[in-house]
Amino acid sequence: MAGVIIFIVVLIGGMCVPLRPGVTSSQPANAKNGDTLFMNVIGYNTHFSTAKNQRAWLKLDSIHAIAAKDFFGKNENEAVITFYIPKDLPTSEKVKPLTLIIDNEIDGAFAQPNALFLTIKDNPTLSSSFWAQADLTNLSVASGMKFPYRNILNETIRNTFFHVALWFAMFILLIAGLYHAIMYLRTGDYDHDIQSASFNRIAILYGVLGLLTGSVWAKFTWNTFWTTDVKLNMTAIAMLIYLAYLVLRGSSADHDRRAKLAASYTIFAFIALIPLVFVIPRMTDSLHPGNGGNPALGGEDLDHTLRLFFYPSIIALSLLGTWMASLLIRYERLKEKIFLKS
Amino acid sequence: MNNLLKIKKFVATIIIMMANIDLVSGQNYPSDFLRSTGKIYSVALVIAIIFIGIVFFLFRLDNKLTKLENHIKNEQ
Repeated sequence: MAGVIIFIVVLIGGMCVPLRPGVTSSQPANAKNGDTLFMNVIGYNTHFSTAKNQRAWLKLDSIHAIAAKDFFGKNENEAVITFYIPKDLPTSEKVKPLTLIIDNEIDGAFAQPNALFLTIKDNPTLSSSFWAQADLTNLSVASGMKFPYRNILNETIRNTFFHVALWFAMFILLIAGLYHAIMYLRTGDYDHDIQSASFNRIAILYGVLGLLTGSVWAKFTWNTFWTTDVKLNMTAIAMLIYLAYLVLRGSSADHDRRAKLAASYTIFAFIALIPLVFVIPRMTDSLHPGNGGNPALGGEDLDHTLRLFFYPSIIALSLLGTWMASLLIRYERLKEKIFLKS
Repeated sequence: MNNLLKIKKFVATIIIMMANIDLVSGQNYPSDFLRSTGKIYSVALVIAIIFIGIVFFLFRLDNKLTKLENHIKNEQ
C-alpha cells in the first residue's frame, strides 16, 4: 500500500516539476574572428521576452569571454544575440569551440557548450585585451525546484524515475529470490521454494518491462529501438538466462527435483547476472551513463532534485514488486494446500 | 478452454493497442511532433508500458485464481 502511495507521489512530482531552461539550438555554428555575429538562439522553458535583465557571453576558456553587444528576445523561446568578435585573440589555435552563456533574472544562468566554432583567419595578434573585459560575475540564480536540462534528453530525463528505478527494484527482488533459494537448499522447506519462485517471477516481469521502457527511451534519444550497446546486449543475455529459469520450472513434474534444480539455477543465474550487467559494460564504451568508467550516480546526471524522486521511486517499485510477489506466494500456498488434500 | 480464449483476446487487444501507439507516434504526424514537446511522450509511453505490465500480471493471476476456484467447486 505504501508502495502505491509513494509511486503516485513520484508520478505526480516527477511529471509536474518543470525542467530548467536550456538552449535547444543556436545558429550559425561557425564564425571567424572580426565578424559581427547575429546568433539565432532557440531556448526551452526560457523567458527571453519577459525577463528584463538579459545578458549573454561567448566563453573561450576560464578567464576569456566576450559579452553580447545586443540581446533581442523575439518571443519567450527565441532570441537574436549580437556579438562582435574581436580580431585579436588570446590563443593561436586554428579552431576554438566557444560556450554560449545566457543569464537573466527569471531563468538564472545556463550554458550551451560548443555553441560556436571560431575559425581563426589572417594571423591575428596575440592579445587578450578584448577578451578579458567580460563581467561574468553576479550571475542570477533561478528560484524553485527544477530538473536539470540536458541536450537530447530534454523531458525524457523524467524516465530516470521509471526505467532506471525499475532495474534497481528488479535487482532487489532478485536478491530476495536468491535469499529464498539459498534458504531452500539449506532447510529443504518447500515454502522457501515458493517464495523464491515468486520473487524471481516478478523480477523477470520487471526486467522485461525495463527492456521495453529502455527501448522506448532509446527510440527518442538514440533514435533506434535497439542499439548494439554492450549494456543492452548483456542485459538481454541475463534476461534470457532468467527466462530459461521459467522454462526449467515448467519442465519437471517432480516436486522435489524441480525445487532443487530451480534453487541451484537461481544461484547460477544471479552469479551470471553480476558480471553481465555490472562488470562487462563498465569495461567498454557504452551509451549508458557511467559505463566505460565509473557509476553515474553523481554530477549533473543525477542531481539532488532528481534524487528526491529517484530514490522514493526505487522504494515504491520494490514495495509494489514485493506486494505482487506476496500475492503470487499466497496463491501458490493455497494451490499447494488444495492439491495436497486431493 | 474458456481461459485460453480469454488470454488470446487479451493478447490481441494488447497488439492492437501497440499498433495504435505506433500509428500515433510514427506515421500520422510529422516526426517533429515527437520532439515538439521536449519528447514528453516518451515518458508517457514508458509509464503506459509499466502500467500494462502490472495489469498483465494481475490478469494472469486472476485467471490462475479462477482455475483454482473451479477446481474447488468441482471437488465439492
